[in-house]
Amino acid sequence: MAALTLAIPSKGRLKDNCDAWFASAGVAMEQTAGARGYRASFAGFSDVEVMLLSASEIASSLLAGDIHLGITGEDLLREEAPELGGRMQLLKGLGFGFADVVVAVSQYWVDVATMADLDDVCAAYAQTHRRRLRVATKYAQLTRSFFAQARITDYRIVPSAGATEGAPAAGTAEVIVDITTTGATLKDNGLKVLDDGVILKSQAQLAASLGADWNVQAKAACRRLLDKLDPANPLYTVLAAQLPS
Amino acid sequence: MAAFPYYDTAAMQALNAQATALLDLFATRGYVREEPAVLQPAEIFLNRSGEEIRRRTFTLTDPSGRDLALRPDLTIPICRQAVLSGRGFPARIAYNGLVFRHQPGEPNRPTQFFQAGVELLGLQDAVAGETEILSLAVEALGVCGLKDFSLRIGDLALFGALVDALALPPQWRSRLKRHFWRAGYVESLLYWLGHGDGAAKLPGSRAQIEALLDARADAPAAGRTREEIVARALDRAAEAASLRLDGKVADAIAELLDISGPAQEALAKVRALLKTVSIDLGPQLAAMEVRLATLKSLGVDPAKVQFTAHFGRNMEYYTGFVFELWARDKEGPVQIAGGGRYDSMMEMLGAKKPVSAIGCALRTERLLAARGGI
Repeated sequence: MAALTLAIPSKGRLKDNCDAWFASAGVAMEQTAGARGYRASFAGFSDVEVMLLSASEIASSLLAGDIHLGITGEDLLREEAPELGGRMQLLKGLGFGFADVVVAVSQYWVDVATMADLDDVCAAYAQTHRRRLRVATKYAQLTRSFFAQARITDYRIVPSAGATEGAPAAGTAEVIVDITTTGATLKDNGLKVLDDGVILKSQAQLAASLGADWNVQAKAACRRLLDKLDPANPLYTVLAAQLPS
Repeated sequence: MAAFPYYDTAAMQALNAQATALLDLFATRGYVREEPAVLQPAEIFLNRSGEEIRRRTFTLTDPSGRDLALRPDLTIPICRQAVLSGRGFPARIAYNGLVFRHQPGEPNRPTQFFQAGVELLGLQDAVAGETEILSLAVEALGVCGLKDFSLRIGDLALFGALVDALALPPQWRSRLKRHFWRAGYVESLLYWLGHGDGAAKLPGSRAQIEALLDARADAPAAGRTREEIVARALDRAAEAASLRLDGKVADAIAELLDISGPAQEALAKVRALLKTVSIDLGPQLAAMEVRLATLKSLGVDPAKVQFTAHFGRNMEYYTGFVFELWARDKEGPVQIAGGGRYDSMMEMLGAKKPVSAIGCALRTERLLAARGGI
């Protein structure tokens, strides 16, 4: 039984970047033989178990305290944790997986450039159409708090499972909140980002769950691993300050 | 109070006795009791109220995929029924029932509680309606035996009239009014209008805007008509040219919104301040005087009536007079009742013409606790 569990994305560019980061720190990862290979280990760290999960599963597992450490997108962590400060600690932005969570509207809306414009349009839309303007997103929590900061109330969120950028053209929502890296997908769909519509500049984060079982062995394994992964920064000291002694 | 309250026999008896006293009082004034379903189509809450209420509404999906909600208040379903039934006005409706609210970030607050209240719909005489509801709220505490309470009053119409008196483009006026209930926001907007920078640029002619739209013909219209967009773009271009507010006026309004205190003194301060910028809000201030006289005639100590110029409510549908009744329980001050005017609600719910609406709701469990009964 490993003392410490660390989850990393199971596929895609995030996984490749994680592998590269471990390699550059001199930590060799070996995928455990097995039917699906969803587990791995680090050479020289027999007390650490590496799990390969989907990026969103990592966020929810950190929140639930099922794993000690995880690497996933900050967008997913912040979406999971808005009301739950003290349950998670971001340790280090890893310098890859950059993407922005943004508010985007149709380029046809030439009169809308800012959140204040969107506020006017939301209010006018509720008056004219007798229903609230719809915002399609998979980031309901981030959207709510950002719209609240911008003092916008006349809207409703429509949950979107995928291909959010198509919602305005499909007629299932008027506005979207989505993640974008180059903006090309938004542009292809005739959308534009509002001038002050960047909700979050996200990147891959190494994060710790504060609700996991932090027994003596887990702490010792964590200290040794973090010191090896990032000798220049006292990551473990930062974490330990948040953990119950 | 627990997140999931359990009412034992004694608590239930006390609540029932209190509810009977309240409903009897409402009945003597012609308010007939109605009871909407606990489980409602989610649409009426989600489309008609803002994301703030939605955030606190429990929603669920039935096995056929229809979105439902546990009613977060009784006002919206009662008003909706009044629209659907095509009943005559004025209508006087009373209720007593459970409402359900998610309490984000406050896991120990109750997710359900009883509300007793009244709705007065479609009464032409606004002052008479306000007097009636305000009196009923105060008397309701009386029949329950709660003597020690205080009031907070305000009036969104006062602020509305003030904004209308300003030389501002219509969209800015509506924006200021819409956000009146947000502490801090109006002040910052006023400061910006009086001292800040101009608005963003858009071409000023219809032909230029139409050309912009033609160039973007491939992008989705996303629910708005071409004419809607052209009209707003023209408005905004015109605004950008005219957007300015006298810095002195902006400061005076920000100062006015800060006024709060015993009602008579506070209103005197409002009058003095308005004089310095030559703005006359006679009718609105007169309406406030009538309310204060009503309270006095009911035997409420004027020192216990607080006027707060910046007083909206955290529910977004109020449009005019607003009030809250406060008392104390073992833990400190607690809001027992709240009410006011919401004249745009009936149209939002589908009424073909404007129907005035004013009402109030009492938190009966808190009322009982303030009396020392729970």
